[in-house]
Amino acid sequence: MNDVAQFHDLHAEQRSEGEQVEKAKILLVDDEPKSLFALQELLSTLGQNLMVAQSGEEALRLALKNDFAVLLLDVRMPGIDGFETARLIRSRERSKSTPIIFLTAAADEMTSMFRGYEVGAVDYLMKPVIPEVLKSKVAVFVELFRKSERLRESEDKLRRLAAHLISIREEERAHIAREIHDELGQVLTGLKMEVTWLAKRLKDKPLIDKTDSMCALIDSSVQTVRKIATGLRPEMLDDMGLVAAVGWQAKEFQKRTGIRCRLKLPAETKFDIEISTTMFRIFQEILTNVARHARATRVDIELALRDSEVLLDVVDNGVGIQDTELTGKKSLGLLGMQERALLFGGDVKITGSPGHGTRVSVNIPLSRKAK
Amino acid sequence: MRILIADDHPIVRHGLKQMLAGDPSATVVGEATNGDEALELARKVEWDMAIFDFTMPGRSGLDLLGDMKKEFPGRPVLILSMHSEDVHGSRVLRGGAAGYITKDSAPQELATAVRKVANGGKYVSASLAEILASECSSDPQKALHEKLSDREYRVMWLLATGKQISEIAKEMGLSPSTVSTYRTRILRKLGLTSNAALVHYAVRHQLVG
Repeated sequence: MNDVAQFHDLHAEQRSEGEQVEKAKILLVDDEPKSLFALQELLSTLGQNLMVAQSGEEALRLALKNDFAVLLLDVRMPGIDGFETARLIRSRERSKSTPIIFLTAAADEMTSMFRGYEVGAVDYLMKPVIPEVLKSKVAVFVELFRKSERLRESEDKLRRLAAHLISIREEERAHIAREIHDELGQVLTGLKMEVTWLAKRLKDKPLIDKTDSMCALIDSSVQTVRKIATGLRPEMLDDMGLVAAVGWQAKEFQKRTGIRCRLKLPAETKFDIEISTTMFRIFQEILTNVARHARATRVDIELALRDSEVLLDVVDNGVGIQDTELTGKKSLGLLGMQERALLFGGDVKITGSPGHGTRVSVNIPLSRKAK
Repeated sequence: MRILIADDHPIVRHGLKQMLAGDPSATVVGEATNGDEALELARKVEWDMAIFDFTMPGRSGLDLLGDMKKEFPGRPVLILSMHSEDVHGSRVLRGGAAGYITKDSAPQELATAVRKVANGGKYVSASLAEILASECSSDPQKALHEKLSDREYRVMWLLATGKQISEIAKEMGLSPSTVSTYRTRILRKLGLTSNAALVHYAVRHQLVG
């Protein structure tokens, strides 16, 4: 009794705080209008949204369009009976984990009870139901429903936050790269021109030697500027597009690691820069993983552009990723790839078998823009 | 020789003019600070050749080059760039530029390029020529290192970067004697006799970096 009152109060309190708590939906299914009415009366004090159905068919229809906190299902109904209704409801993706409480006449056998649990019942109540027991049980499921809603919301928030951080970091990198490359680089260029001008007017050998060494210093600074800027964001990506950038990155990778890359690229073309960046960063992460963990001597890279999507397939001949590594605590890099792709409605699949290398397949639809 | 120059950095334009001033036959007839301005200027003034920065605000790079080639097909455009040649060089030439010069190249090189382009030629620096040549050898099978197996290739790379046999063995999960066997085979396939020659080979073919 107290429990029920507390649950009830909790929701009343939340509402009074002005927080828009949507009512949880509860579906009552019984072929007897009288029973339905009684149930409605009984549960109305919970302050939730009660929906009713007088047959299994009607219940199925409602379950297609609504997410219910809990279902109260009469076992004996003409047409589709309670068990069949439950089985059908639970077989659908949307309602596969909706809790179901069966209501049955006390005369029913224990065997029917087992049948109920088999098709996904979470509880089984004998008619006539004891009002407080029913209320309290339903209230528990309403609370559970709210908690999972909140969990979903916070997951969603985290995902949006991650997306936001990714895009901020990308912007910042691009900005810094541009500043360094353009501003600093151009000043160095100008400086070199000035020094050369000066050098031409010098006759003294020691002074000419000095300007020579100044030029050499400027040259090496330009190299450094280039290296830093490219590391932050390859200019290739913006100037020439993803296809060229992937080709360039693979070549660099082979030079840097001695791991041979075989490339299969489509004709060079430019498309959505955000999707290109996403794909490119995922590609870089894949190569980093190959260099770090795979012990590979070869990587096969295939990039393909379809009308509706861009596909990347990277296969190495290394030790092969283990399932435990895919889910382990160290798999944050993998999670990062997944999150990046997900932002654009894409997907990353990683498969590996010990001794036979690892395959990473990425697809990102071109039609859907970031949320 | 009437020259148009475009670069968004005053210091670079200044340096360019200073350098061109050394050539009595060259006159700078117009300066632009971005791509759109450059295109507009090209329509307004009389000019014989253009020297454009690759990266400018607004329309720039290959897009601007394409526009220029379309509107003024006969006239040479020399591209000046902060980017090293291996990144953009061959694409810019394929895009119709009369030459590609990185901004860190020696000013004498720029003078040479201007003269060459002014006479209707194309200017390709020595390092860009090398890149073009390697792109042209369309049959990659011809390079000796392409004959190495993937594993041999990696051993070759590790040797070329100065790794000892024992380190390579550890890194690749092989026994030292296996690595030695690989080494012998690699040297034979590449027609070399020592590690030093192998390092030289790798550097010359840009296999390490």
